[in-house]
Amino acid sequence: MRRVWAIVRREFVERVRRKWFWISALLGPVFFALVFLLPVALASSGGSKRIAVVDGTTSDFGARVAATLDSGSVFAAVRVASGPRVVDSLVAEVGARRLDGILLLTDSVVATGAAEYRASNISSLRDVAELEGTLTSLVAQVRLERAGVDPRLLREARGLHLRTAKIAGSTMTGESSAQSFSLAYLMGLILYTVILVYGVNVKSSVLEEKTTRIVEVLLSSVRPFSLLAGKILGVGAVSLLQLAIWGVAGRALANWGAGLDGSGPLAIPHVSAATAAIFLAYFIGGFLLYSAMFAAVGALSSTEQEAQQAQQPIALVLVGSVLSMFALLNEPNSTLAVTLSLLPFSSPIAMPVRWAAGDLPPLELVASLALLVAGIVVVTWVASRIYRVGILMTGKRPTIRELVRWVKAV
Amino acid sequence: MTSPVLVVDRVSKRFAGHTAVDDLSLVVAPGVIQGLLGPNGAGKTTTIRMILDILLPDAGRVERFGSRASARHWAGRIGYLPEERGLYRRMRVLDVLVFLAEMKGVDRRAARERGRRWLERLGLAAWERRSVDDLSKGMQQKVQFISTVLHEPTLVILDEPFAGLDPVNAQALKDIVLELRSAGTTVLLSTHVMEQAEKLCDQVCIIAHGKKLVDGSLAEIKRTRGGRHVTLGFDGRAAGDAPAVLADRRLVRGLDDYGQYAEVELAPDADPQELLRGLVEAGVRLSRFELTEPSLHRIFMDLVSDGGTRHA
Repeated sequence: MRRVWAIVRREFVERVRRKWFWISALLGPVFFALVFLLPVALASSGGSKRIAVVDGTTSDFGARVAATLDSGSVFAAVRVASGPRVVDSLVAEVGARRLDGILLLTDSVVATGAAEYRASNISSLRDVAELEGTLTSLVAQVRLERAGVDPRLLREARGLHLRTAKIAGSTMTGESSAQSFSLAYLMGLILYTVILVYGVNVKSSVLEEKTTRIVEVLLSSVRPFSLLAGKILGVGAVSLLQLAIWGVAGRALANWGAGLDGSGPLAIPHVSAATAAIFLAYFIGGFLLYSAMFAAVGALSSTEQEAQQAQQPIALVLVGSVLSMFALLNEPNSTLAVTLSLLPFSSPIAMPVRWAAGDLPPLELVASLALLVAGIVVVTWVASRIYRVGILMTGKRPTIRELVRWVKAV
Repeated sequence: MTSPVLVVDRVSKRFAGHTAVDDLSLVVAPGVIQGLLGPNGAGKTTTIRMILDILLPDAGRVERFGSRASARHWAGRIGYLPEERGLYRRMRVLDVLVFLAEMKGVDRRAARERGRRWLERLGLAAWERRSVDDLSKGMQQKVQFISTVLHEPTLVILDEPFAGLDPVNAQALKDIVLELRSAGTTVLLSTHVMEQAEKLCDQVCIIAHGKKLVDGSLAEIKRTRGGRHVTLGFDGRAAGDAPAVLADRRLVRGLDDYGQYAEVELAPDADPQELLRGLVEAGVRLSRFELTEPSLHRIFMDLVSDGGTRHA
């Protein structure tokens, strides 16, 4: 229908014309890169920590620990012989920030496995993991040596690097666990941001027509549902263009990044066609579902402030889906994960995240999509009825009881 | 008489707690300016919304152009200026006009061309590529008139068109309305400003509390509804010093005393000469004693303040 098409075009053209659209198109990838890479970058930044290994052992164990730690990238370790007041003076050094920490070793380390680490920051998992790893392996080595095991045999027996690979269906993909984690995380983040931003866009558009009363003129020419549909499709088209720009930019950035330093946890993982299709399907579904709700919010409100308040519950549901992402990634097949990926309100974020994190039973995917479509139909039906009445209302916000009446009205 | 453009047939609309429009009927002939008059809250806007199918009546029906088809079916032939004005603030002026014309089924290219012509005519040609936000309020109102008539409708519905207009724009709008009529367009105009209605309307329908009080041609209403009125001019009289004869219910039905002059509505069978004699005998010095046609304002006030009980 020509009029709906004109509404779609207006929503699209007016948005794409704005500077705001191009700024977010260009800055989007930068933003996601920051949100995504910053924690990783922060965790590995700060260079190596300066620590003193206070050696109270009677063997060469302390020297070996210091040498092993120093050879790694996490610590710069110096062996200090134990003596009276040594610890006190080192503690003073840590206090003066000339030293990051002290590792206290005695003979009991080898015997009982008890050592002590004092530092200005003991919350760094990386530091603790490095210390524990080094000590455990050296303690084991010394115990075995004392038991008479040939040191050469020990060197050969050591050394393990766990390589992870995701199995999808029966084929093994080239993705590492870090890569599928980061892909899932990134997808969840983008889905959340874009659905929220463009849902709010639909709300603002509805509100503008309501507050300016243009809606009366429009409704004398088109049905409320056509107006709503044209609006959602137009804004949706803008969001797809935004995603397309980001996709192309992301690809280019990934190629450029790969040229810089090969792979590793920072590399942007390969996105298969199936993953892209699922991402897109759930994006479109999620957008339709949420934008219909946001449209109803716009129709119910008389001012921007009111609308911002009224949209909180909807935004919260979205935020909840994002927060549950971490639980999903840890246990992609838990009851919680399955439930969230089936419920239409959380599935647009939960399902693509689960898909990217690991293998999925196809039946669950089909069920989730079917439920999402059903959810869209029901939500749109309810929202369009609220919209129809709400856009002509002025003054105070309706009560829940009134809303129910609007929905039931013929 | 040619077939009516618009038939409103015993239409009612209830909202939670009150009846906005109650069993209202109205027939609008082609090519006339039909006034829909009433105080604020009388149900004018609700009636218009039902005529436009923005609201559905609870009872009764509306026919447009002799057909039961929805108003949206006739959208291209109907122009509508709502009471509360507004345009897309950040759109360019010409783009708004083109979009609103497209909603009425006008082809983009034609809309663009006609939009330019209208902007030129109303002195806004230099603004066509500026955003609506850059325009003054008066200019925005002009743009909105243009959007109401750009698609060349045969029925134009104006809800309180003069509200908030400065005298220059009010004049411009009045000229457009009269021009529309001479081109054969039917205009339905709602207002509570009786002076405007009296100058423009051929037919008027006065409503209050959702009910029709009176309906017909302006001349006929004045003749039948106005009663007989006498305008008195006093020659140096202290305000508030009303002679007893004006309180005589056998002579005077209504009195609107302005101090230096007064409008008197005569009782049904009263003889104006008797009133004159009474006044002279009471020693009132008159500068004027004139049998007059009542103003629409007067009729309106009488009808509305009586709550519609009197005209029966």
